[in-house]
Amino acid sequence: MSDIIGSDHPFNQPQQKTLAAVLDTLVPASEDGQMPSATEVDFDQYLRTQGEIALPLIEAVLEQLDNTFAEQSLEERCAQLQAYSEADPLNFQQVLTHVYDAYYQDDRVRVAIGMIKGPVFPQGNEVMAGDLSLLDPVINNSEQHQYRKV
Amino acid sequence: MTDDVVDVLIIGAGASGASVAWSLADTRMRIVCMEQGDWTNPSEYPTTAANWESQAYGPYNINPNVRGRDTDYPINNDESAVAVVNFNGVGGSTILYGAHFPRLHPSDFKVKSLDGVAEDWPIDYATLEPYFAQNDRVMGVSGLSGDPMYPPKQPPLPPLPMGLVGETLARGFNKLGWHWWPSDSAIISQPYEGRDKCLNLGPCLSACAQGGKSSTDITYWPEAIRRGVELRTRCRVREITVNEQGFADGVVYYNADGEECYQRAEVVVMACNGVGTPRILLNSTSARFPDGLANRSGMVGKNLMFHPVGFVQGVFEERLDSHKGPQACCILSKEFYESDTTRGFVRGYNMQITRGSGPLNTAMAGYTQGTIPWGPGHHEAFRKRFDHVAAIGIIGEDLPEEHNTVTLDTELTDSDGVPSPKITYRYSDNSLKMIEHGLARGEEAMQAAGAVEITKAGPLRDTGWHLLGTARMGNDPETSVVNHWGRSHDVKNLFIVDGSIFVTGGGVNPASTIQACALYIADTMKKNLANLFD
Repeated sequence: MSDIIGSDHPFNQPQQKTLAAVLDTLVPASEDGQMPSATEVDFDQYLRTQGEIALPLIEAVLEQLDNTFAEQSLEERCAQLQAYSEADPLNFQQVLTHVYDAYYQDDRVRVAIGMIKGPVFPQGNEVMAGDLSLLDPVINNSEQHQYRKV
Repeated sequence: MTDDVVDVLIIGAGASGASVAWSLADTRMRIVCMEQGDWTNPSEYPTTAANWESQAYGPYNINPNVRGRDTDYPINNDESAVAVVNFNGVGGSTILYGAHFPRLHPSDFKVKSLDGVAEDWPIDYATLEPYFAQNDRVMGVSGLSGDPMYPPKQPPLPPLPMGLVGETLARGFNKLGWHWWPSDSAIISQPYEGRDKCLNLGPCLSACAQGGKSSTDITYWPEAIRRGVELRTRCRVREITVNEQGFADGVVYYNADGEECYQRAEVVVMACNGVGTPRILLNSTSARFPDGLANRSGMVGKNLMFHPVGFVQGVFEERLDSHKGPQACCILSKEFYESDTTRGFVRGYNMQITRGSGPLNTAMAGYTQGTIPWGPGHHEAFRKRFDHVAAIGIIGEDLPEEHNTVTLDTELTDSDGVPSPKITYRYSDNSLKMIEHGLARGEEAMQAAGAVEITKAGPLRDTGWHLLGTARMGNDPETSVVNHWGRSHDVKNLFIVDGSIFVTGGGVNPASTIQACALYIADTMKKNLANLFD
């Protein structure tokens, strides 16, 4: 009997481990516990929908990182990613965009920053009308704020 | 098809094409509009999905070169300080516009008389006033009457909510004694004409799934079609043909399958705006018009005007709910709109208060500006900025200069092989001084409003929404392309109704004035049907 368990994950186990460390380094959990880390959102699901574009970009990052990246301290991981961001700023920025895109689509994250869950339509948002009496100085001073007569 | 002759053929189904089709439908003539793009489906718009922000980086990008739909045409911006942004489809750029809807001011039509620069328009604000009002009713415009910076006007709907962003900046303007007013917005604040009101979704520039934003696919077009106008999508016009008498007699176009077709017409109306219209005219060469159709003046494609744009953002300690509400529509200030030569430049600018972005754009903008890091510190910096910002867009008047042009690119083409437009554009010293002044005043306003951190940028590159002046109107055929009611000086059955006919650009978003001009031209055509070509 084979001991190989099939997986549809685009990365092998060591790569997955490194990717998780990358995600946790880019967006760690907040100290107050209100914001999860980027590994706590469903990044695998994100890759299933955006993988065609995101996978080669992420792969390029993983190839440049040390095999021991996941075991390193936070400071060391930050230093490695900083070095990569300076060596290939465009690819780094694109990967960061994907990480933030996945992160800020997560309902826990959205609620924590004061947004509604899920798509903004059709629920929408409430916005206060505002105090139109603030216009009184403009109206009372309208002689100074007249359109230019032709 | 060559025996089939339509009475009026309109090219382009955007802001002006929809308006002119709607108005001419009164005549019961056979009217056909050709649009190179498709209808868009609101149920597929970005805000119906969780990834609405990132969709604006791709399929709903405002830049056609990035968006890259086969219904778009690529644009060569390499020699331009501003990149063109637009949308091609039924509704045109109103699908993605911010719907900020101020009118040009009376003084904008008379800049030579008043300030000794550029040229006066051959028409004035009073001529257009009834058409501004008509357009406000059909589009559904929200606003507040009584603004002393305009002649009296009455928007059909009450203003959009100012929200905390509007109130905060209003207090700042009041401290300085400056003018401000709730913006006229082509967004409905109440149910109107079968449409439900704005839901304050936020990202109007990614199209409006609710239909609260007044794009012409849901305002003018349903009524125009009901009254008999035929709208053909996926028809990309390559050129307008002329007969031996020098009249336009039809168009060569490509259908959805890329097949070359021909449609005859008695009257041709151009409504492709300030880049698309000169592109087709310049591509319509013949023995009679070797330099392009209607171009005996040599003015087709010249005098391209954008609006130089600056941006001032303030971060506030208090939460402003910045991501909620129409992003581009809140309040405005006209304090520096009219000329004051002591400032070191002529004409002026509009200060347009805009709300904040969603979280992805906030985080990425923070990364590129160095204000929101990745890694440790991300959340703290993000919290200080997300929903805590307000911005001021500085929209300045751009005076016409012949060296700012739309020409045909010699290599780049669209998917049907039609030459792409090439933009050659640089800012004038006047524009640069104006933006510098606006950025400084914007900073002042932010300080007065209580911002704790202020960033400024401008003039900005990806802001080429307002495409004006490339087939300008005028009384002199030597220096203008169309007459005072949009008819070509050279081709008596060819009309232009879009932003390319602007003589000067004012300092405001032009959609309202473009549509008022289109309605005025259509009305004048109707009044002169018996002798339209005299």
